[in-house]
Amino acid sequence: MNGLERILATVRHGQPDRVPIVPQVFGHAARLGGVPLRRYLTDATVLAQCQLDAWRDYGTDAMFGLFDACVETEALGSGMRYPEDGYPDVERFILEQPGDVAQLRIPDPGRAGRMPVALEALRRLRQEGQDQAMVAGCVLGPMTLACQLMGIEKTLFAAVDETPAFERMLDFAVEVALAYGSAQLKAGAHLCIVFDPSASPAVVPLAFFRELLMPRLRRLCQGLKDAGALATWLHIAGPAEPILPLYPACGVDIACIDYCVDPGRARALAPGLCLTGNVRPLAFVDSEPAAIAESCAQILGIARMGGFMLSSGCELPVEARPECVRALTSAALAEV
Amino acid sequence: MGSPANEPASRLDPPASGAIDGPCLDFALTRLVQLLTEGDAAAALLEARRVRVSGADGSLQVVKALEAAMDGMSAKCTAEEFNLLEIMLAGRAATLVAHDLFPEGALPSPRGTVVIATPEGDVHDLGKNLTRMVLTSKGFRVVDCGKDCPLAVMVQAVAREEAFALLVSGLISPVVPLVRQLRGLLRECGLAPVRLVAGGAALKQCTAEALNVDFVAGDAFDTVRYLEALRP
Repeated sequence: MNGLERILATVRHGQPDRVPIVPQVFGHAARLGGVPLRRYLTDATVLAQCQLDAWRDYGTDAMFGLFDACVETEALGSGMRYPEDGYPDVERFILEQPGDVAQLRIPDPGRAGRMPVALEALRRLRQEGQDQAMVAGCVLGPMTLACQLMGIEKTLFAAVDETPAFERMLDFAVEVALAYGSAQLKAGAHLCIVFDPSASPAVVPLAFFRELLMPRLRRLCQGLKDAGALATWLHIAGPAEPILPLYPACGVDIACIDYCVDPGRARALAPGLCLTGNVRPLAFVDSEPAAIAESCAQILGIARMGGFMLSSGCELPVEARPECVRALTSAALAEV
Repeated sequence: MGSPANEPASRLDPPASGAIDGPCLDFALTRLVQLLTEGDAAAALLEARRVRVSGADGSLQVVKALEAAMDGMSAKCTAEEFNLLEIMLAGRAATLVAHDLFPEGALPSPRGTVVIATPEGDVHDLGKNLTRMVLTSKGFRVVDCGKDCPLAVMVQAVAREEAFALLVSGLISPVVPLVRQLRGLLRECGLAPVRLVAGGAALKQCTAEALNVDFVAGDAFDTVRYLEALRP
C-alpha cells in the first residue's frame, strides 16, 4: 500500500498494512530544508520542495499545502506583519465591527493574497507525489476565520452582543472556505483540512458549538465533499472530548485529537470517526526520541484497533528535533 | 443569608428610591454575583449600584461580590468546564462594575502587585488579558506589559513596580527558550525572590522545571489559586 491508499483504508475503517504516519509537518518542513519561514510561506516552489523533501526524509504518508492561519484574512484585506523566520500575524483586522462583513466579497483564490501560492504548491505536490501520499490542503473553519477577520476578543463579545451580525460573519466564512477549498481540490489536494481551533470547547461552550457552529461545519463538509474531497478532516485543538460525538453529524470523517485528549476515550466517544493524534507537540522539542517512542507505543495500542492515524496532537513545532520525528515514524513502522 | 427564591417578589423588590437593606440586600448581593457570573454586564451594573446605596459599606459589599463571582468561576474551572467566552463575559461584567465603583483608579489591591506579559514574538494576548481581569477582581494590582514584550521590559517593570510575581503567557512554542531565561535575568537584577508563573497553550505543555519557573498554570484561575496561596 502507498500512503494515500493506507490513509483511505484507515478512514474507511478497512485494513491498512500499517497505521498511517501523518505528523503535522507544516512550517517544520521549512526549518528542515534550511529555508526561512517567510520564504516558505510566500513561494510555492520552495514550499512544495520542502514538503516533498520532508515526506521523503521522514517516510510519512501525507504532505501538507500551505498552513498558516492568516491566508484567508490577508486575502480579504487584513494588514499583516511578516517576521523573517516566523508565522505571519494580523496587524490590522479587516473588520471593525461584525456588521461590516456585508461589505466584504468572496476572494478569488486564483488572485487574492497568498491563495495562489497555496494552489500552486498543491498542484506541484500532487504532480510530484504521484498519488503515493495524501496531499492535504487547508481552509479555516468558520469560527476561526471570523476571529481572524476581527480579532478573537472582539469576535467572542460580538457573538453574544450582536448575534445576528456574528452569524452573518460565520456564514460569510463558510462561503470563503468553500471557494478556497474548492480551488484547492481542483488544484490537486485530495482533501482540505478544516482548521478551526477557535471552535474548541476551551474557547466556546458546548451549546455555542451545537447551535452556531455545527450547522456551518455541516454545510462546509458537505460542500467540500461535493467539490471532490476524498474525505473531510476537522482539526479542533484542545480538550475536544465534549464535541467529538457531534462530529459525525457535521459530516466529519477524520478528527485530530490533541495531546490532552485520551485516545481510548476519544475512540469510545466517536467510534465511527477516523482519529489522528496525539503526541504532545512540544515533546518533539523538549523530549528525547525514547520518550516519543514510549508515547507512540501507548497511542498505537489504540490505533491497532483501526481507524487511527499516528500524529502529533497539533502542529509539529517549527523547531521540532528531526530525531524525535523519526522516532514517531519508527514506532509505526516497527508495528509491521 | 435567607432563601430569596422563596420570598414574595414584593418584599424582594427594592424601594423606589433604590435604597435596600436586610433580606433585600442579601438577595441583591446573591443576584449581583449571579449576574457577574453569567456575564450580564448591564444588569450587573444596575444591581451593583443598588447595593452601593444600601449603606455605609455598600461599596465593600460590591467588592466582595466581585470576588465571590470570580470564586464561582474558579470552582467551575476546577470542574474542567473552562471556556474562554464565559470567563471573558464574567470578566467584562466585573471590569464594568469595578470601573463604576472606582472611576478614578483601580480596585483596592491588598494582595500586592504582579507583572504580566506575553513574551516577544508572540502576539496572542487573550489569555493574558483574561488573567489580568480575573486577578484584578481578586484584589491584585496587575501591571500589564502587553504582548510581544521584550524580557528586559518585563524585568524592569517588576523592579519598578515592586511586584512579587511575574506572569508570562505564551501560545506559541518559540517563546519557550525566552521564558527559560527569565529566572537568570531576575537574579541579575537582584530580584531572585520574585515568583515566576507561566501559562498559555505552549507553555503549559512544559513542566515548571523545564521552564525554570515556580509554577505552570493550567488556566487563569490556576494562577489565581497559586498567587492566593502566597498572598491569602
